[in-house]
Amino acid sequence: MSAALRFAGHAFAAGSSRREPAMFEMRELATGNRVELLDEARNSICSANLNELRIDPPLGSAPRKLWFPDGTVFETEAHDAVETLTGETRGSLLHRYERFSPHLIAVIAACVLIGLIIWRFGLDLLVAAAIAATPVAVIEQIDVGTMETIDYTIAEPSGLSDADRARVLQIFDRLIGKLPADMQERHDFKLLFRDLPGMGPNAFALPGGTMVMTDAFVEDFGTPDIIASVLGHEIGHVVEEHGLQRLYRSLAIFVLITLLAGDVGPVLEDIVLEGQLLLSLSFDRDQERSADVFGMTLAHRANYDPSGLKTFFERLSEEYGDSTPQWMSTHPSNADRIRAIETFVEGL
Amino acid sequence: MSESLSPDMKSFEFRGNAKEWFGIWIVNLLLSIVTFGIYSAWAKVRTKKYFYNNTFVEGRNFDYHATGKQILIGRLIVIAAIVVFQVASVLTPFAALGLLVVLLIAFPFLIVRSLMFNARMSSFSNVRFGFDGTAGKAALLFLLYPILVAFTLYTTFPMLDRAIKRYTVNNHKLGQACFNVEVALGPFYKAFLIALVWIFVVGGVGVVLTGFSFMEFAMAMDDPGGDPAQFGAVMALFYLLIFAAFLPAGFLYQALTRNAVYNSATLEGGHRFASNVNPWMLLWIALSNTAVVICTLFLMLPWAQVRMARYLADHTGFAPGSSLDSFVTQQTGGAGAVGDAYTDLEGVDVGLPI
Repeated sequence: MSAALRFAGHAFAAGSSRREPAMFEMRELATGNRVELLDEARNSICSANLNELRIDPPLGSAPRKLWFPDGTVFETEAHDAVETLTGETRGSLLHRYERFSPHLIAVIAACVLIGLIIWRFGLDLLVAAAIAATPVAVIEQIDVGTMETIDYTIAEPSGLSDADRARVLQIFDRLIGKLPADMQERHDFKLLFRDLPGMGPNAFALPGGTMVMTDAFVEDFGTPDIIASVLGHEIGHVVEEHGLQRLYRSLAIFVLITLLAGDVGPVLEDIVLEGQLLLSLSFDRDQERSADVFGMTLAHRANYDPSGLKTFFERLSEEYGDSTPQWMSTHPSNADRIRAIETFVEGL
Repeated sequence: MSESLSPDMKSFEFRGNAKEWFGIWIVNLLLSIVTFGIYSAWAKVRTKKYFYNNTFVEGRNFDYHATGKQILIGRLIVIAAIVVFQVASVLTPFAALGLLVVLLIAFPFLIVRSLMFNARMSSFSNVRFGFDGTAGKAALLFLLYPILVAFTLYTTFPMLDRAIKRYTVNNHKLGQACFNVEVALGPFYKAFLIALVWIFVVGGVGVVLTGFSFMEFAMAMDDPGGDPAQFGAVMALFYLLIFAAFLPAGFLYQALTRNAVYNSATLEGGHRFASNVNPWMLLWIALSNTAVVICTLFLMLPWAQVRMARYLADHTGFAPGSSLDSFVTQQTGGAGAVGDAYTDLEGVDVGLPI
C-alpha cells in the first residue's frame, strides 16, 4: 500500500540530542490514519495513529516539530506537507494573520485605536470596578492606618484653641449637612486638627472621609470663606474617590505596561514608565480642577463665598510662588486655578 | 579589541528576519491589548520560541517549551502579591514592613526558581537545560554581597559580578553535561576601568562643552520657584549628561565581560565557547536601535531586536569537542512558573544572555 503523504526530516530519540535523517509516511487505513517514521534503511523508528501526534503550531519559517507518543520528535522543513496533515488549525490561522503583508497596516491601526480607547475608557472602567469591589471596612482601615503613620512620624497634636477648633468644625458640619443624604452615609466624614511643622498651611483628605487641617492653615487663613472653600475642595476629593482612583490607576498602569511592553530592553522600559508617570500627573491635575469646582459649588450652597478659594490661591502665590513647572506637578498652577475660579464665580 | 573567532570556532547562526518577526510581534501586541494583557503570556512564549527556534549551532536549534497557561498563572500570582503588598502598605504601614521582610527572605528562592524554570523550559537539539544552584548562594550573591560592595564604594563590584556570572554558568547543565567557566578577575577589573574612564571623559567633556554648571544645578534644585524654563533646561541637561555618560559605560562593561566569560566557558564533553563582540559596535547598535525605535514610535522595535540578536549570534562561537548526539535530558521534577513571573515583572535580569 503506498503512502498517502510522505516527507523528509530528522528524528530525535526521546530526550536525546541524537538525530538521524528520517522519512515521515502516512497511510490511510480503514481504522484511521497511521503514521510511521522510517530511517535511511527504511527500518521503522516508531509509529502511531495520526490523532496521537502532537504537532507544534507554525511559527514564522522555523522548522516544524511533530511529537510521537513514545517521545520521539520529528523535525522537518516541509511546511506545506505539515499544513496538509493538520488542515486548518487555530495555529495556522494565527500564522496566516502574522505574515508580512499590507494587512498588517490594519493591525497597527487597530493596536493604536484600541490602545487609545483602553487608555481613555477601559482604564477608568477597571478602576471603577476595583473601587466598587473594595469593601468599606478596607477603605476605613486605610484612613486609620495612614493616620497612625502620620501621627507616629510627622504630626504633633494640634496647638489650636478650643474656640478656633469649634469655629472650623462648625463650618465643616455646615458643609457636610449640604451634601445629599446618601453621600453623607457612604463616607465617614470627620475633621482632625494636627500641627504639621514644615508643611505650612495645608489640608488633605483620606479616602474614607478623614480630613486633616494643619494649625498653620487656621492661623494664616482664618476667614470662614477660605476655610469653607478649601474644606469643600477636600470633601470633593472624598466624594469623587480621587485617592482610591490614583491608587488603583497606578497599579493597573504598572501591570499593563509591564505585561504589554514585554522585553523592549531596559532603556525603553524606563522611558515608557517615566512617560506614563508624566501622563498620570495630568490625570492628577484634572482631579484637582474637579475638586476645585465641587468645593466651590458646595461652599456656595452652604452660603459661603466661593471666591474665598481665589483669595487663598492669590495669597499662596504671593507667599510661596509656584514651586514646580506645571507639566511635572500634581497640581495645576495657581494662576490657572485662579482663572478657573473667576470663570466659575461669574457663572453663578 | 575584536579579534575574529579562531578557525576551529563556528559562529552561532540567527536565521530569523525582521519582516517575518514584525508580523508575529504586531499580532502579539494587538491580541495582548485586546485581552487587557492576558494574551501577553502566550505572546511571551511565542517570542521566546521565535528567537530560540531561529538560533542555530552546528545546524541544530534551540526551543522553548513553557505554555502560555503556565506563564499566565505565574504572572497572576505575582500580580496578586504586588496588589496585596500595595494595599497592605496603605492599610497598616507597619504590615508593609513585615511583608518587605518576607519578600527579602523569599527573594533568593524566587531567583533560583526563576533560573530553574527558564532552564528546564529551554532546550537545545531536543535536550533540556537544567539549573541546580542553591538559594543560599543566591542569598549571598544578591542580598548580602551587594551591601558589602556598596560599603567599599563599589570598588569591589567586579568581584561580585564575576561571582554572579560564575554561579550562573557553573550551575547550568545541558542534560547531564555541566557548563563551566574559569575566568580570572583581571578582565572584569579591566572592563570596569574602561567603563569608569568613559564616564569621566564623557562626563567631563560634556560638562565643558555644554557649559553645564554644578552651581546652577544645585541652585535650581534648591529653589525651583525660579524661572521654570531655566529650571527645565538645567534638569534636561543633567539627565542628558547622565544618559551619555553612564548608559554607554554600562554597555561597554557588559560587552567586555561577556567576551571574557564566553571565552573561558566550556561544556562537559570537551566543547568550548567564544565571544568576540566589539564593545563599540555593540554600543553603536544599542544606541542606534533606541534612536530608530523612538523615531518610528516603536514600529521598528522588531527590526532592532532582530538586528541585536543577529549581531550577538554572529559573534558567539562554538567548538564541539565530541559528538553533539550524546546529550540526554535529565529527569527531574518540574519547576513552577512563579519565580520566572517574578523576575519577569520586576525586571530582574538573571538569565544567561545568548
